[in-house]
Amino acid sequence: MKVKPSYQISSKLKKTFLAGSLSVIALSLAACGSSGNSGSDGNAGSDKPSTVTLTMMHPWTSPNVDNEVYKARIAEFEKEHPEIVIKQDAVPSGDYKTKLKTLAAGNNLADIDVLWPGADLQPLVAGNLLMPIDSEMDNWKSLLPEDALAGFNEGGKQYAIPTKQTFVDIVYYNKEMFAKVGYNSFPDTLDGFYDVVKKLKAAGITPISLGNKEKWPLESSYMSAIGDRFTGDDFLQNVLDGKAKFTDPDYIKALDVIDQLTNLKAFNTDANNMDSVQAQDYFIQGKAAMHISSSTVDGRVRITNPDGDKFGIALFPSVPGGKGDPKKSAGVVQYGIGIKSGLSDEKQKAAMEFMKFFVNEDLYKELISKGIVVPAKVDIPSDASPYLKEMMELTSHGTAPVFDSIIPTQVNDVFENGIQAITVGGETPEQVAKETQEAVDNMK
Amino acid sequence: MHTLKGTRFAIFIGLLPALIIYLGVAILPIGLSVYYSFSRWDGITDMTFTGLHNYQQILKDHIFWLSVKNNVIIMLTGLVGQIPLGLLLALLLNRKMKGVNFFRTVGFLPVVISSVMVSIIWGMVYNTEYGMLNGFLGLIGLDSWKHNWLGTPGLSMFALGAAYIWQNCGLYMVIFLAALQNIPAEVNEAAELDGATGLRRVMRITIPMLKTTLMVAVVYSISNSFRVFDLIQIMTGGGPAHASEVMTIYMYNNAFVNMRFGYGSAAAVLILIFSLIVVGIVNWIGRDKKD
Repeated sequence: MKVKPSYQISSKLKKTFLAGSLSVIALSLAACGSSGNSGSDGNAGSDKPSTVTLTMMHPWTSPNVDNEVYKARIAEFEKEHPEIVIKQDAVPSGDYKTKLKTLAAGNNLADIDVLWPGADLQPLVAGNLLMPIDSEMDNWKSLLPEDALAGFNEGGKQYAIPTKQTFVDIVYYNKEMFAKVGYNSFPDTLDGFYDVVKKLKAAGITPISLGNKEKWPLESSYMSAIGDRFTGDDFLQNVLDGKAKFTDPDYIKALDVIDQLTNLKAFNTDANNMDSVQAQDYFIQGKAAMHISSSTVDGRVRITNPDGDKFGIALFPSVPGGKGDPKKSAGVVQYGIGIKSGLSDEKQKAAMEFMKFFVNEDLYKELISKGIVVPAKVDIPSDASPYLKEMMELTSHGTAPVFDSIIPTQVNDVFENGIQAITVGGETPEQVAKETQEAVDNMK
Repeated sequence: MHTLKGTRFAIFIGLLPALIIYLGVAILPIGLSVYYSFSRWDGITDMTFTGLHNYQQILKDHIFWLSVKNNVIIMLTGLVGQIPLGLLLALLLNRKMKGVNFFRTVGFLPVVISSVMVSIIWGMVYNTEYGMLNGFLGLIGLDSWKHNWLGTPGLSMFALGAAYIWQNCGLYMVIFLAALQNIPAEVNEAAELDGATGLRRVMRITIPMLKTTLMVAVVYSISNSFRVFDLIQIMTGGGPAHASEVMTIYMYNNAFVNMRFGYGSAAAVLILIFSLIVVGIVNWIGRDKKD
């Protein structure tokens, strides 16, 4: 007697639970489904004048002069186009590439993305994740020279428009400290460079401030330039094509420069656990005589710095027997603006509208007036900072390749760790060259 | 019988949503990782299956074995640092004294702070130029003891280990405190009547009574040590030159930085296997002694 009612209740319970759990499953499935393609359908069926929401991911978080320009332009666009909303995802630049790749792997890129050229762009194109913009190129053809666009051109198709030109190997030096050890200009030979380092060291001054915790400064800013001085600028491409090797004597000599600088104790002691921005601060505060970094840093070092006059700029000097042109600076176009493939027509149109507005002559002019080098053919305004003119003059004698824009990431990773190992005495230049070459060989 | 059967079914149905979510967020990804680990995949273009190739490569990679060694160092610092220190703190704080709550809070605080904060704080402590540790050594005249703690290959793992102990020993302190308070007062009183006081009482009475809790803490500490990531990633990034790289950082760098998702997945599977083996061994040792 007692068993039956309770069984009935539990059977009723059963049904309720079943219905309940089924609806939970259904709901969660529905939620998954809609979040999967919410990007593409907009707001069908609403009577209101429809607004298009575009997502945009960018690395403009630190208070650099150029970042302010970019963000101001996005705000301006939104003001002029109330029907288009730009939802920004600002990712600190150190993590940006990792996030971009991870999102790409999940086919989850933002509608508009900031992209790097060459080795970083290739996998995205190979995965059909970006929209070719060739049909709209008339907007930019007259503004940008071919070689500025080349890095974002894959298989004859254009995927992004660069907004700035970065030279990664600018040597900033403290003129007062140099004068103190008897140098009134920057040495133009490697021996002279070593001599300055020794004299600075003897005078109790840290010769070079380096922040290599992130591992790219020695690879990108140092080895792009030093490698070029020794090997000439076809070398990296030749390595990829199998016509040269990292173990070639010339390249080992280039790596040996890092070893020499380490032996001379040229860097601050905490070089490997200081990040690049801390190293800039260190230099700007007068705690070191040199800092090697990108042209963008000039904004902080000189242009917005009341003591900017103290600092000079130079390129890495010539090296004995070097095959490269010592007047060349390693440069790369940066911050390409590109659009994700597979957007709805409505979104595609809005994204194109944004791109045309964002990357135009005004952007380049605003950047120039803030002291940023741009890849576009724009007249330099007469009121441009003299520092910018100096930078443009210094970098106008041809461009050498930037290591990580040519060499694929997984080889680059081995290389970066290898040079870091040289700075802590863990490996010799020969070992690093050998490991890096092995990584190249393993790619095939 | 009927009642039980019906209720069981209802319980099963009731658990089903949670079970599905758990399978989806915990078990399925492990399965997927195993699946990916047999492939060469950059995450974007098509996968190609390479069988056990990734595993062969990883097991040949000396950097992987370096990261295993570093994981073992972290595991040992956990076992010989966190647990004894946690126990000691718990014994000290398991008594009636002034301000005991204050000290308990202080002891537990590092557990509550996010590990990003912990990493930044310790990064400052170890800083060569303005760090507290070098500053202190200079103050007491031990200038020759000053070091670049995080930037020297032989030292960085131990510097990180100290931060790791600091971060987690509060957790074990709380676990042990709870267990200590469950020891009946009569036991301690009886022990005292028999003349067992101080250290003797701790060794003979308290620790044996804490044995199950100790086992749980040991297993927890070990599995925790295989997961350590953020602390090291923020303080050294695994550097200099892989010197402080642990398996999770090895996996992260390969999968997400170098875009070798297959390879990274294989590394993840190895982490799982390694931790299962170690935890299994500990469980086995623990069970053996109980009988």
